[in-house]
Amino acid sequence: MKLTPDDDTIFSIGDLAINATIFNTWLVMALLTGVSALITRNLRSDVPPNRWRTMLEVIVIGIQDQIQSITQRVDPRLLYFTGTLFLFIVTSNLLLVIPGFHPPTASLSTTAALALSVLVAVPIFGIGSRGLGGYLRTYIEPSAIMLPFNVIGEVSRGLSLAIRLYGNIMSGAVIAAILLGVAPFFFPVVMDMLGLLTGLIQAYIFAILATVYISAASAPPGPNTPRSKQEQT
Amino acid sequence: MSIDWFTVIAQIVNFLVLVWLLKRFLYRPILDGIDARENEIAERMNDATMVRRTAEAAEAEFRAEIESLRSSRGDLLKEAHQQAEAERDALLAEARKQLERDLAARQAQNATEARRYTADLHRAGAEALLALTRKALLDLADESFEHRIAAHAVTRLAAANDDLKKAAGDNREAVVLTRDPLPSDVRAQLERDLAAVLPDVTVRFDTEPALAPGLTLRLGGAQVAWTVDSYLDGLDAVLADRARQARAQGFTDAA
Repeated sequence: MKLTPDDDTIFSIGDLAINATIFNTWLVMALLTGVSALITRNLRSDVPPNRWRTMLEVIVIGIQDQIQSITQRVDPRLLYFTGTLFLFIVTSNLLLVIPGFHPPTASLSTTAALALSVLVAVPIFGIGSRGLGGYLRTYIEPSAIMLPFNVIGEVSRGLSLAIRLYGNIMSGAVIAAILLGVAPFFFPVVMDMLGLLTGLIQAYIFAILATVYISAASAPPGPNTPRSKQEQT
Repeated sequence: MSIDWFTVIAQIVNFLVLVWLLKRFLYRPILDGIDARENEIAERMNDATMVRRTAEAAEAEFRAEIESLRSSRGDLLKEAHQQAEAERDALLAEARKQLERDLAARQAQNATEARRYTADLHRAGAEALLALTRKALLDLADESFEHRIAAHAVTRLAAANDDLKKAAGDNREAVVLTRDPLPSDVRAQLERDLAAVLPDVTVRFDTEPALAPGLTLRLGGAQVAWTVDSYLDGLDAVLADRARQARAQGFTDAA
């Protein structure tokens, strides 16, 4: 039994082996982009929105409201980044119910890539908001003694994000596969339903944590900043 | 559990591409559409607010106008009453004037009719008087009225001979005017008598229906008349006196 879809090579381009993780990621990307482009291709302000456009508006506005409730401000770049994180993870996790489809998020490489993206996005958003000096100053707060601990904290955030997502998705898939072998008629269905729930929750948690990290780095320092709250999380 | 770094890098690239794709095909169109719709809704609400304000202003104006009309209704009624009274007074005054004019016209018509009646009565009286006189003269003295007038005129002419000559001046024609043509014997007698009184004067006989019964002699600027007018005036006075007495008697009986 293969624990990660990285080991399944779908096809090769020269020396590059395209595994199931990358291929399924493309499928998810194609699905998200195709559906979005299909619904938003003919938007007009004077025409009442149809049910598909309303669905997309509910999703986008819901994500934006969640981000705004955390950051207390509207930042379109944060919406693009964390919204895409959430949509990608949740779509991948929900596609778990399709037989034979290995969600990309069940790969540690994918979760590591997403965690690395968050890890890199945090200083980028922080520097973009506070400037380079202002962002680096956050590592020596409240005193310079805290510099190594802050650096370790930043790295551990990425690791925890990656392991958390990977562990939940991979474990659900593995448990479902094991139960499919032991009791193929009842338990796999229950586990798949549980997998949908945990996948949705994990996508939400991953996106929320990424939002908290980025907003903590980009928000002005103060007693009630999201960084303080994030430290308590 | 292992990490394939090629897959990691590929997934990072894939994720960044997905961010761009969703930004291009999902977030931007949806957010722009929401903004455009919100702007349109705000614009329509502004328009609705303006329309509502306009309607409220018009309503307030109409209400004020109605209130003003209500408050001025009493004044308008009072003014209308005054105008009606003035119109009624004017119509009554006009009716009175018309009545006075009609009364005056009626009185004038009555006076005219009275005068016409008096003239008719005068003429009828004259005719009766003339006929009675003519009959009395003929029955009692076997003489005609025209002969007696002519004889009387000649007698009077003789008395006024000097005055006539002065009035005649150089005029040598005397005109004898009567209402009816005179009989030939009376004409001959008159010519003879006038020739005796006024020897140089020729006589011409003429008739004039408007004259009273009798004889009128014109000589130059002088005129001498012997007619029954004076007798008719006396008859009128007698009749008027009798009428007054009759009316006085009628009032006394009525009282």
